[in-house]
Amino acid sequence: MDIGLTPAIALSLVAWGTIVGVDLVSAPQGLLSRPLVAAAVAGWLLGDVAAGLQVGLVLECFALDVLPVGAAKYPDYGPGAVGATLYATGGKGFGVLGVATGIGLVMALVGGWSLLWIRHANTRAVQRQAAALAAGDRPTIRGLQREGLLRDITRSAVLTLLAIGLAVASARFTFPAEGPFELVGIAAIGAALAAVSTGAVRSAGRGPRLAWLSAGALLGLLWVVLG
Amino acid sequence: MTGRLRALWRLLALQATWNFERMQGIGMGHAAEPLLEELRESDAARQADAVVRSAEFFNCHPYLAGVALGATVRAEYEGVPGAQIVRLRTALCGPLGALGDRLFWIGVVPLMMSAASLAIVEGAGLAAIVALLVVYNTLRLATGAWSLEAGLRSGIRVSGEIAGSWLTRSAERVGPAAGFMVGVAIPKVAAALLAGTGAQMVSGALVLAIAGVVLAIRFGSAISPVRLGLVAILLTLIYAGR
Repeated sequence: MDIGLTPAIALSLVAWGTIVGVDLVSAPQGLLSRPLVAAAVAGWLLGDVAAGLQVGLVLECFALDVLPVGAAKYPDYGPGAVGATLYATGGKGFGVLGVATGIGLVMALVGGWSLLWIRHANTRAVQRQAAALAAGDRPTIRGLQREGLLRDITRSAVLTLLAIGLAVASARFTFPAEGPFELVGIAAIGAALAAVSTGAVRSAGRGPRLAWLSAGALLGLLWVVLG
Repeated sequence: MTGRLRALWRLLALQATWNFERMQGIGMGHAAEPLLEELRESDAARQADAVVRSAEFFNCHPYLAGVALGATVRAEYEGVPGAQIVRLRTALCGPLGALGDRLFWIGVVPLMMSAASLAIVEGAGLAAIVALLVVYNTLRLATGAWSLEAGLRSGIRVSGEIAGSWLTRSAERVGPAAGFMVGVAIPKVAAALLAGTGAQMVSGALVLAIAGVVLAIRFGSAISPVRLGLVAILLTLIYAGR
């Protein structure tokens, strides 16, 4: 597979992946880290918006199952979506989409672990400055904030580099567009639909939202059948 | 830049130092600094205590942290006893967290992501992404600004302000709308992703999807959709590569 990665494109992908990673928790939390957004922009940077949107749609289904609250551990889909899109631009077919989704999911899990690491690192930094914080030292607060942001920038950049590396390494293997490799993509899409449906049912609970979800699903099905 | 604008700007990075000890506390202390500057001129000792309190444990929905920030800063200027300010701040964590999660994380975000997905499968392309980012971030920034203003306006009486606000009313309405939009999007996205493949493949994907939902609901986080996806991809890769 030829994924046509020039140094300039690689640099722009790392920059975008870093922005996306920082957006998830640190700043500004403006949906840039959603896989649909991360992959679409990565596709645009790579000159293949369609590939980015397709990868983004699949990974977004997985992300819609996630509730990013407080101390909970959740996957970080953004940088992985960038790597997955890079891989997807190298070929066509369901097999390629399936492997791209696999890259995105693996990196999302690694991203989740890296979030835990950064939280522990932040905790240690805060504990080291306990005396200064107890004294209300404002430069210490500013310094901790700067360090935390820098830590997340580094985490996101490394995560994006890993995702790009995984995409480049996976591109060494060629998958035919048709035949049994199509199953890989079908498996990815099936699991993605399971994820988004599970998330929707869990969020709906047993209240009126469940009725609205059912009504929406019925309308969506009619739209597919009639449209 | 005025103190309020600087505080709003800093609130965007509220969670940059999120940690297990103080959670959002350092980010709150950082955002409080520009608002407490005038207090230093009138009462330096009080300001030093206020800075210490501002960086203590805090955790709520990040978009609504301005409510607690504004309320506690106003209370500091009004000379409310420190212990009462700490109690106010702690008391706001839970309600602001729950309200923000209901409104944004399980309301507006799935609603808008589903709408954007739907627009994309209908051919909107990158325009859907641009529209999504513009609309969401306008709402996000407006909510942040309103939160800070509401807190500064109300001080220790902020609970009443939130209870009667648009936030509470919107949180009640957005849930059903999000459920409906996700419901519409699932079949449409599935049809778009599976377009161009045969009936057998479509059936296979749907069987896996239904099995995944049943397993995830039956066994909880032990069989998460991400794990299911990775296992399914790996097994099909091994099968296809034989």
